[in-house]
Amino acid sequence: MDGMKYTKSHEWVKIENGVAVIGITDYAKDQLGDVVFIELPDVGQRVVKSSQLGTVESTKTASEIYTPLTGEVIAVNDGLVDNPQWVNESPFEKGWMVKIKLSDENQLNDLLDEGAYKEFVSKEKH
Amino acid sequence: MELKKTPFYQKHVEAAARLVDFGGWALALEYKSVLAEAKAVRGSCGLFDASHMGQIRVSGSGAFSFLQGLVTNDLSLISNGQMQYNLLLNRGGGVLDDLMVYRFKRSFLCVVNATNIDKIFNWFNENNHQDIEIINESNNISLLALQGPNAQAIMEKVLKINLDDFNYMSFIEVSMEGKDALISRSGYTGEDGFEIYVSSNDALFWWDTILKEGEAFCLQLSGLGARDILRIEAGYPLYGNDMNEQMDPFTASLGWAVKLNKEFIGKDAILKYKIQGVKSFRVGFVMEDRAIPRAGYEVYLNESIGIDSDRKFIGKVSSGGYSPNLDKFIGMAVIDKGFAGLDAPIEINVRGRFYKARIVKMPFVGIRTYNKGMSKVIRKKPETLNSKS
Repeated sequence: MDGMKYTKSHEWVKIENGVAVIGITDYAKDQLGDVVFIELPDVGQRVVKSSQLGTVESTKTASEIYTPLTGEVIAVNDGLVDNPQWVNESPFEKGWMVKIKLSDENQLNDLLDEGAYKEFVSKEKH
Repeated sequence: MELKKTPFYQKHVEAAARLVDFGGWALALEYKSVLAEAKAVRGSCGLFDASHMGQIRVSGSGAFSFLQGLVTNDLSLISNGQMQYNLLLNRGGGVLDDLMVYRFKRSFLCVVNATNIDKIFNWFNENNHQDIEIINESNNISLLALQGPNAQAIMEKVLKINLDDFNYMSFIEVSMEGKDALISRSGYTGEDGFEIYVSSNDALFWWDTILKEGEAFCLQLSGLGARDILRIEAGYPLYGNDMNEQMDPFTASLGWAVKLNKEFIGKDAILKYKIQGVKSFRVGFVMEDRAIPRAGYEVYLNESIGIDSDRKFIGKVSSGGYSPNLDKFIGMAVIDKGFAGLDAPIEINVRGRFYKARIVKMPFVGIRTYNKGMSKVIRKKPETLNSKS
């Protein structure tokens, strides 16, 4: 998708005016199956790259979500807590999880673009 | 080690199932969605491949007294054409397996859990001091479970006979186009339904026929994920989770399947529990906070007053998950008897955080098994679930 960046732990990142919107990818939700529980961080929390942001649990497993970026959580998708199925229905839109105000935009260079992510996924599949 | 494949393996692959290793078998965890499949079984009908289950045939003139001396329930209560839920205990009173015993004219068929087939086959042989014939038929028998309110309509189309007289916990032997099947009115979901035992050679014929007739009745392929949450909703225990060799039947809350007016291995060991009572037992609980209780999580009683935190460890979760039919997180736990009262406020430790739950009566959903003359739409929901949520 246009302007999207990705991580090897299957999060997607979309940048809007210095703010990173983060969710999990199509591939990640397919791996998880039906998502039934989501734990998100508190608004205002400072998060450091590679630390745990929250948890996504499906009918079969619990999986941690990691922040690929350092900054401050300025919003979380509260609706997801009661509607975890949004992650399955619409992982890139309704299923967004947190918004992080970046401390430094140069961090984005470490993320994968769409082509690199697709290649990474196809390798992981085999 | 390569996984064993049921005759339906290729069908699972074609249906794009997510396959898992279940006790050494490659089985479908889900086809499209665990939740959709679990709903379909209570709303219309689901078809499960349960061919991993084991079948041990016990025959010979002494077969009745042989088995009666091993199982906890009383086989004299069933006659030819009926089945009964049973437990097998070791000499210390721990549960070796739970099983269904089908009574035939001259033999019995014991349907045991996949992971326990060898153990039980050996157990039977060790205790065979007479001339009982014990045959492990597991490799030749495939098992399909057709479960849900539309199961009878589908089965009637398949067999081209009326099944109004076919009661819960009984079985029939049929033949279609020269292909035999043993069909019981039973299951592991709490819904009306059938378990269909067929020769592995004929397995695909039955699969195709059932799916073809099921199409008009919204029949849905259903996997082990749905099977697990459905059996939890129905309050049914799973061997390995809710009982094991270290647990006596009373702790597992399966005392109803133990008849002490007869002799069986393990009886002496469990008599003391009957007399003195057990320390803990299996209960059902509903989460009040949103969190998934999983097997092994710790259960606490929260006696905190004000800011003083005072939590007492009282047991562990044995099974749990998200119930799509109730839209609640539910589970079973084996907890200290003194704290296991109905409505007791407990907490589950989920990855270091404590989430509130409440003990409720099981089953979590109304059981809808069939007996002739019963209205087919009976669906009782436990009051505890409705009144407080």
